[in-house]
Amino acid sequence: MIMPLIKGLQITISHMFKKPVTLQYPTERPDVKPGFRGLHALNVSHDKAKCVACYLCPTVCPAKCITVEAGEDANHDKYAAKYEIDMLRCIFCGYCVEACPVDAIRMTEQFELANYTRADFTYTKDRLLEKK
Amino acid sequence: MVNLTINGKQVAVEKDATIYDAAKACGIKIPILCHDKKLHPFGGCRMCLVEVEQMKGRLIPACTTPVTEGMIVQTTTDEIVKARKLVLELLLLKHPIDCPVCDAAGDCDLQNLTYEYKVNMNRFVDEKFNHEIDYENPLIERDMNRCIHCGKCARICDEIVSYGAYTFINRGIEAKMGTEFDGPLNCEFCGSCVSVCPVGALNSRPFKFKARWWALQKTKSVCSYCGTGCQLTLGTKDGKVLTTIYDENQGFHNGQLCTRGRFGYQFVNSDKRLTAPLIRKNGKLQEATWEEALAEVTSRLAAGKSDPASVAALATPRLTNEELFLFGKLFRGTVGTDNIDHSAGYAHEALTKGAVASFGVAASPAEIADVQKSNLLLVVKSDAYETHPVIGFEINLGVKRKGIALRIVSDKKGKLTRLPGAKTTVHAPGNEVALFNALCKSVIDQGLAVEGVAGLDALKAAVADATAEKAGVSAEEIAAIAKEFASAEKALIILPIGQGYPGHNAALANAAANLAILTGQVGKEGAGLLIMGEKNNSQGAVDMGIYPKGTGLNAAAIIDGCANGNVKTLFVAGENPVVSYPNRAKVEKALENVEFMVVSDLFLTETAALADVVLPACSFAEKSGTFTSLGRRVQNVRKAIPAIGLAKSDFEILNAISQALGGARYNNQGEVFTEIAASVPAYKGLTQAGLKDEGAVYPVALAAKLVPAAAKAAAPAAGKLALVTGSALYHCGTMSRFGEGPMYVCPDAYAELNVADAAALKVEEGDQVTVTSGTGAVQVVAKVGKRVPQGVVFSPYHFGEGSVNTITDGAEVTYVSVAKK
Repeated sequence: MIMPLIKGLQITISHMFKKPVTLQYPTERPDVKPGFRGLHALNVSHDKAKCVACYLCPTVCPAKCITVEAGEDANHDKYAAKYEIDMLRCIFCGYCVEACPVDAIRMTEQFELANYTRADFTYTKDRLLEKK
Repeated sequence: MVNLTINGKQVAVEKDATIYDAAKACGIKIPILCHDKKLHPFGGCRMCLVEVEQMKGRLIPACTTPVTEGMIVQTTTDEIVKARKLVLELLLLKHPIDCPVCDAAGDCDLQNLTYEYKVNMNRFVDEKFNHEIDYENPLIERDMNRCIHCGKCARICDEIVSYGAYTFINRGIEAKMGTEFDGPLNCEFCGSCVSVCPVGALNSRPFKFKARWWALQKTKSVCSYCGTGCQLTLGTKDGKVLTTIYDENQGFHNGQLCTRGRFGYQFVNSDKRLTAPLIRKNGKLQEATWEEALAEVTSRLAAGKSDPASVAALATPRLTNEELFLFGKLFRGTVGTDNIDHSAGYAHEALTKGAVASFGVAASPAEIADVQKSNLLLVVKSDAYETHPVIGFEINLGVKRKGIALRIVSDKKGKLTRLPGAKTTVHAPGNEVALFNALCKSVIDQGLAVEGVAGLDALKAAVADATAEKAGVSAEEIAAIAKEFASAEKALIILPIGQGYPGHNAALANAAANLAILTGQVGKEGAGLLIMGEKNNSQGAVDMGIYPKGTGLNAAAIIDGCANGNVKTLFVAGENPVVSYPNRAKVEKALENVEFMVVSDLFLTETAALADVVLPACSFAEKSGTFTSLGRRVQNVRKAIPAIGLAKSDFEILNAISQALGGARYNNQGEVFTEIAASVPAYKGLTQAGLKDEGAVYPVALAAKLVPAAAKAAAPAAGKLALVTGSALYHCGTMSRFGEGPMYVCPDAYAELNVADAAALKVEEGDQVTVTSGTGAVQVVAKVGKRVPQGVVFSPYHFGEGSVNTITDGAEVTYVSVAKK
């Protein structure tokens, strides 16, 4: 009875001399680990989104949260006229990144995604491009 | 039969089969890029290499090697796989790896085989092609950098479409698929090449970048344009019809479609579709609820029940059989009027009066399959190809592959005229009946008539003075056609009917039937008369009895009734009389005069704009039911997308009205079909489920009889041109105007003149001309060519602006003067 109590107190006391793990958020920020899957971003190349609207990401997306509509530009090339992610549905599986054949989408370290309205959770192409 | 062994399996196949066919027959898949079951074997891609024990030492292409007795074939040895990998590597050497932007990705044979054979590396290095991409064509985009030289586009265009828009140009490494003089593609835009292209070299522009093949929902249905009854697979996504999908195993036509079926589907999702009911208030059509609109309609019809003669109803033969049956039941039964019709009287008289008098049934004695089983085809009007293009393909195939003789009697030349061995007899417009009478007389004179046919004496008397001169052609031509037709083992007459053909009425059907009956060319396979109704369900509308019987008024008389006040309430389901019936000014005045008009339609057409209540109806893609094709084939139409806006199907509309008026009420359209099967004798025993994908051809019991047909003598007017109306290849009725595809190619009304007439009138291609008749005048664009003979002007009738019905009044021939604006 006594020995387990002493062992428990030892653990408690040892923690009093260790660096605390609690962060004083928002003044203290967490150190996001590599491979963390946060908000998506559309990569940019030559001032244009790299996305060619191949429709692979909406195809593999298990939550069906990605909407792509392709358009034809002045050079008859294909581009994503519409690229939207409904973040309320997204499960951050990262399949979209894996499926992308042209490295057009990545997942950033941004995890602060709380919002007040449903509409604010719809990330349009413009909002996704901003975080380059 | 030939016996052989493939991968250890014993197979017995026809002696003209290839190894590829034999393997397919026993379920062994041999990869191939240049093969389509409709085309002749080509052996160009070398993917189908197999090993034959008797031919050791080399690999043999399976698609071009005929089977021989005792052959032992292996299809997947290590050596074969290695050879196929090499073929793929060589193809991928030049082929760009642009799958993410290529529309074919997901439906690309090369992509699938590359994946299947795990060609992840290429041992060879070369520069990619750098051909200029053809973006000029509004419907077909050609990126020859992706071409793998399978030649399917050139072969289908040559073998089936008979246009020959493509060819291989240059040789060896420089070879490419080209067009005439390597210019932009200039063809009839049927899209057959796009449908068979195994890669993304040929793409449909209307579908470009719209969706991936795997994301499309595929629904098998029936085309809603002409009466051929082509089956098609609709590719839909998010409630929109995005494309039609090619399936070589679908329908009698093996997936072959014409330009309307392939590129004319956009009317379904058009922004111009009606999405809510409209009621006229203070002279203007304003949006209303369904309850309000239906209450207005039912109260009017309920009032009309006490005076049924004051109620009339017109239906389009684009409705399903179930809707048409319900339409008949509602107006004939519940409301009590017999003033019902579909299209303007003459458009289907050939069936309802002509075929009934000659054959005892209101249907063609022949079916579409007979086209290829015949020995001689006698086509009335060269543009049977333009009204029913897929039957045109069947004619092409029959003539080119089976050597079927083709004889055309027409008032102008057309594409069929150019087929090998085809002979065209050009007669003066409106002389068709005189010509058939002259043919009958020639048959009798030459002693070729069969004995003991009912009505022979009466016919002999009636055609006694029918001469070739009266038909406006030479006696030699008449005698030759009569002899060939009578002495052919099996001969078939093909007769298109429709709103554009005012002379193609009961008399012409009788006259044509007389020739078939007189020569014994009826009641057997590959022979008889094929009366080709214009719209997708023209035959169904006749089968469902949507035409006046007894004292009922036909469409033309209904219009007169509206004008003189006898018809007070008019219900129009999908028809557009303002544009499609003769004498536009008269029709417009009549419809403005009618007390109450209801129109149910997909669009606010010229007719709907005059209505008191407009009900938004569903297109064929939004409803289920059945259509009956011109060859008497009853086929399932399946719902592919939900209704657009608040639109309701005509079944729902008619069912609600019927119920409100105390008539029949059905829970679903299937119940109506059950009732059709019970009450329409020809449909006895049919069930919608039993129709499956292939549909069912209902039988006819013929009681053939010769019925003399009086030829009307057309009186030419001095200095005037004879106006021939008809169908343009890209359009069907007035609905195709709402499809982007047809409107890219043929957006405006036109008048086609002979070069000599054009020169005399100082008119050039593209000029605006005014065509004037006794009925009115219309301004259209001039086309100049050698297709129409001198003294004749041709104009299609589909257009709202420059509508040719402004100047026609239903007569067989309208004489017009043409002047440059």
